[in-house]
Amino acid sequence: MIELHRVWKVFSVGPVKVPALSDISFRVAKGECVTLHGASGAGKTTLLRLLYREELPTEGDIEVLGCDVPALRVREVAALRRSIGVVFQDAKLLPGRTVYENVAFVLRVLGTPRREITPRVFDALRRVGLSARAQAYPAQLSQGEAQRAALARAIARKPLLLLADEPTGSLDESMAGEVIDIIKDIWARGTTVLFATHQARLAAALHQRTLHLLSGRLVKDEG
Amino acid sequence: MLGFLIGEALRDLHRAGRVAVAAILLTTLSLAALGGFWLVSTNVGQAAEQWRDRVRITVFLKQEPSAAETDELVDRVQAMPGVAAVRYVSKSEALGTLKEVLGKDASVAEQLPTNPLPASLEVMLNEAGATPEGARGLITRLSELPETDEVSGGMDWVDRLARGRRLLDVIGLGIGAVLAVAAILTVTTATTLVLHLRRQELEIMRLVGAPELVVRLPLLLQGMLQGLLGAVMAIWLLIAVYALAGPHLEPLVNQTLGLERLTFLKPHTVVGLMLAGTMLGGFGGWLARGRTAP
Repeated sequence: MIELHRVWKVFSVGPVKVPALSDISFRVAKGECVTLHGASGAGKTTLLRLLYREELPTEGDIEVLGCDVPALRVREVAALRRSIGVVFQDAKLLPGRTVYENVAFVLRVLGTPRREITPRVFDALRRVGLSARAQAYPAQLSQGEAQRAALARAIARKPLLLLADEPTGSLDESMAGEVIDIIKDIWARGTTVLFATHQARLAAALHQRTLHLLSGRLVKDEG
Repeated sequence: MLGFLIGEALRDLHRAGRVAVAAILLTTLSLAALGGFWLVSTNVGQAAEQWRDRVRITVFLKQEPSAAETDELVDRVQAMPGVAAVRYVSKSEALGTLKEVLGKDASVAEQLPTNPLPASLEVMLNEAGATPEGARGLITRLSELPETDEVSGGMDWVDRLARGRRLLDVIGLGIGAVLAVAAILTVTTATTLVLHLRRQELEIMRLVGAPELVVRLPLLLQGMLQGLLGAVMAIWLLIAVYALAGPHLEPLVNQTLGLERLTFLKPHTVVGLMLAGTMLGGFGGWLARGRTAP
């Protein structure tokens, strides 16, 4: 499903080279739920961005869903991303659209037949417990609800892989717990999950394999 | 899918609100300036055409030819390059004209023992003949005719016309180019400004793997729509200004340029302006397509 081999990512800040990831190698099998744990600046976001080809590695091989990610052409990148759901710390909901429209928007731009859109949107909203808030605008949602709406948008497309980049980063304990439960449910239905967090307690809450990043290096692979 | 994309373009335009209105107004002003210049340029061009019609070369003849000789001479001159038309003026017609000019003093002419005025040919120039080089060549050819006594007139007007045309060309190219570049920059900047509001949607679309065409088409359509709306408003503005100011300007234009009335842009120019607005808007939309994948 995911395989990284000796991956380096170095950013250039003027003449200075800053390594964000150093010699990272790991493999995630289909159906696994893996937590990526590390402090802020450890390289979690960079690593996830490499997986959905928002960034290119400086060195090394990356394979996701059978694709040689760095070698993909633009059209192939789009095809890969159609199989990947991504959620962020800021939910990135479109402010001028309701929750329903936010979820439906991605289905529409991907050419989903019109008759399938409403049932799929409501199925996704039901799974995250937001059916009653379908007509609310993002500004009317709590942070937890916004994050659940973002998850609904990600799973409505039925992705094979979910990349969650600190989705609980700005949530209180109870809201974070709700998000974790939803991610567990998504994983239980067969989606491979890579969940990035800086909170050790949440990493443990998933009771799954955890990759520990420290200053861009993979220092421990446990579970 | 196309319906969805057009709907998205319209929805975004509506949602952009004041920014979209500002962009459309900027497009309107920019295209109205370009169209206004076009309008002035067209009318000045027409005045130049009329000036050309006024240019005459007069060939005074040594002696009055017979009717058959006149026809043969007129045909010969008519066949010369640069000649649009030739009119024979007999001695008696010249005297009649002189009397008309003298008016109440015409009796002076009647007291002359003989008609001193020579017969002549009035030569009107075509476009090729109305250039300094063309006119000089024609004057030389006319002077070499055995019937010619003297050739006069024409060069002053021809030189003045040539200077006027050069000035028009320079002004036309200069102002036209400046206005066209300004229109391109204004429309693309204004369109880009509105489309910048869509950056979040673009980000989401790219993130979920929307096909490139689906990402770009609404931007292109929105830009084109803005450009078209701006162009239509610019044309309305020009029509309104023409209708309101035209009647007041016509006496002035008549006195200075010799034009009887002002003319509005021709239909193909109006269509051209609308197409230009649409294409400029589309260009802006294309520029604002957002960041591509690495």
